[in-house]
Amino acid sequence: MEFLSDATFLSRLQFAFLAMFHILWPPLTVGLALILFALEAAWVKTQNLFFYHQTRFWLRIFMINFGVGVISGIPMEFAFGMNWGPFSIASGDFFGNILGFETAMAFMLEAGFLGIMLFGWNRVSPGMHLFATGMVLFGSTLSVFWIMVANAWMQTPAGVEYIGGKFVITDYWAAVFNPDLGHAFWHMLIACIELSLVVVAGISAYYLLKKRETGFFLPPFKYAVFALVAIAPLQILIGDSAGGALAETQPAKLAAIEAHWETNPPGEGAPWAVLAIPDAESQRNVWELSIPDALSLIVTHSPNGTVVGLRDFKREDQPPIWIPFYAFRLMVAAGVFMAGMALWTLWLFLRRKAHMQADSIGDKPWLLRGWMLAIPAAYLAVEMGWLVREIGRQPWIVYGMMRTEHGASDLPLAAVQWSLSSFALFYLAIGVAAFYFLRHVIRKGPLYETPPRHFQDKRVPMSSMNDEGY
Amino acid sequence: MEHLALDPSHHLLATAWFAIIGLFLVFYVLLDGFDLGMGMLSLAAPSEHHRGVMMRSLGSIWDANETWLVIVGGTLFGAFPLAYGTVLHGLYIPLALMLFGFMLRGVSFEFYALSARKWLWGTAFGLGSLLAVVAQGFALGGLLAGMKIENGLFVGGVFDWFSPFSIMVVLGVIAGYCVLGANYMILKFNGELQNHAYRRSQAFSLLMLLAAAIITVWTPLQYPAIFERWFSLPAFFAFALLPLAALFSFYGLFVALKKRAERAPFLWSLSIFLFSFIGLAATWFPYIVPGSLTIDQAAAPSNTLIFMLIGIGTLIPVMIAYNIYQYSVFGGKIDADAPPPQH
Repeated sequence: MEFLSDATFLSRLQFAFLAMFHILWPPLTVGLALILFALEAAWVKTQNLFFYHQTRFWLRIFMINFGVGVISGIPMEFAFGMNWGPFSIASGDFFGNILGFETAMAFMLEAGFLGIMLFGWNRVSPGMHLFATGMVLFGSTLSVFWIMVANAWMQTPAGVEYIGGKFVITDYWAAVFNPDLGHAFWHMLIACIELSLVVVAGISAYYLLKKRETGFFLPPFKYAVFALVAIAPLQILIGDSAGGALAETQPAKLAAIEAHWETNPPGEGAPWAVLAIPDAESQRNVWELSIPDALSLIVTHSPNGTVVGLRDFKREDQPPIWIPFYAFRLMVAAGVFMAGMALWTLWLFLRRKAHMQADSIGDKPWLLRGWMLAIPAAYLAVEMGWLVREIGRQPWIVYGMMRTEHGASDLPLAAVQWSLSSFALFYLAIGVAAFYFLRHVIRKGPLYETPPRHFQDKRVPMSSMNDEGY
Repeated sequence: MEHLALDPSHHLLATAWFAIIGLFLVFYVLLDGFDLGMGMLSLAAPSEHHRGVMMRSLGSIWDANETWLVIVGGTLFGAFPLAYGTVLHGLYIPLALMLFGFMLRGVSFEFYALSARKWLWGTAFGLGSLLAVVAQGFALGGLLAGMKIENGLFVGGVFDWFSPFSIMVVLGVIAGYCVLGANYMILKFNGELQNHAYRRSQAFSLLMLLAAAIITVWTPLQYPAIFERWFSLPAFFAFALLPLAALFSFYGLFVALKKRAERAPFLWSLSIFLFSFIGLAATWFPYIVPGSLTIDQAAAPSNTLIFMLIGIGTLIPVMIAYNIYQYSVFGGKIDADAPPPQH
């Protein structure tokens, strides 16, 4: 375990740990905010209590999720300066500026309306409450945008020159709208929506399987699945397009993802390794299961298009291979599984209508268990996607310009060991507690709250109302 | 770096950002100050029921209060990258401790409401608040003492922030936040909890006055540069006004507490903090890291500062407006003896 005595490596491990824990929460916040906004808008428009009760049930899950997302997000804002001081100083003119935008435009907007969204039911009019929900949705989506601007710039740093150890901005808009931003933003935003729809479908499936509250949970199940019929394949298409773009922007990352060592000679196609045992020492795959010409087809959409291999890069410029290669395959498998579940379920709805009613769908246990399994699959896809993205960028902190080892703060080993193990302990406890309380809320089911008072009787003065609270 | 310092428009932009970040920091200290103060006071709440009332009253605002610090972090990173990269590196341990404190406290808000073991999450809430405040005190003490920076990198030790002086600052910050918290409780609650808050406020106000006096005398003795700054003429007359104004606010606070006023104590404690803060900023300027980095040295180039000024500067009134709106939605007294909501 020699690497545990390298402070820079521990700083990387700590950042990876903070980010991997944090990214468990915001995707559901963003996607569920969208779903909540739609449900609440339906309630305000139709005044149908069914939508109000749906909103309140999913809002309780949103609340726990949001809390942990905020708590785990704050350390990220500080982690750059604490563990990555030299990187922060070098890149601050652009990167720090973008994080500043994120905090002031997005983070604060969410926080400024969250209280009303969670606790303000009896204190503002339904229209104002809907507005607050909309602002939380807008803020969280803006947050995705600015964070992806910052991260995409680390992948494809445009609009800057690296002079004397500092990134000098030459073209602001080129840096913001850098080549990776389009793929990065849409892939992440659609991931948020897809994950949230899968969570709604999965929790609903749990109730349908238990034959509890089936009238309440069949509609969200149905609509989540219908939405996924479009969203899940769309995400696969965006992902494919993002992979193709890597050939241009980050060829070493692409080669690592595919364990592709040798550039295929002109006129010959590059094989695609489905599975492999890559070996960096001998610069080849010790074993592989491959499909001829398939990599050229996937990347260039032509059977003998050129795909640059890892051996074209110096050893010290190659990213690690094992994690990108296998994480990518797990992500793709999870994505295909979710799309397959959506299409299968749609087919059942269209062909076997009688079996897909509130009182009969519970007799399809495998379908419903499949959807419950889709929840961890969705989270797995998000985690694996980020591993591919960040480890595939190594050994660079800013691709092709600044190496990761030059970005780390010079901290004593013991300090990083202490902080890393403390974060691990805290996050473990928080994760376990959040899981426990989420399970509690989900098992309790809908509470059928009485609607806000001025919905029942608009003449009740606001001052005589108290909080219903949770 | 030198040529930047001579550029008057860059200096103006850097000064504007120093003022904006200072404003964000004032919002943070005042708002999260009473929030954290109530957290510490909740450790000795009169009953579990009252602790629940205290925590619920913060439920709708704590997130926004804490977010002001995140904004300070984000804008410091963008406007003064050199300060962000060196200060956060140098204060690694206190800042990590502060983050742990925030986490404990943040999850406790959520889980207190849901859990059957109220005392567990209630205690975690109080201890998390205390931890965050102690850490902030050490960070401030460490910053006041200056940081070793060479060639734009932090080169000091990982425990540089720890000194008898910084321990004194910690005590001052604890007392100050408890005063803010207790005075907010006077404003917000009635009955037994309000009486309790009056007693707490009196005790902590005395402690705060004592701590503030010690720190004000100790600082110039410890740091000759500050001594020179304060006691050179004519600056001395300007600097002397601030402690006098703070002292007058203390007087107002004690009178208001004695009269059992409901709003005045909170307002007087805000003014004590405000004058202390202005004093701190005036002592610092034009340094952003005392003794080592001036704002001109640490600031990002003009184009970044302008870009941020357009993007964030114009948003400041909007941010303030919706924060005030959220406070007004949850404004008014809370009946501290009413039964908790059922869920």
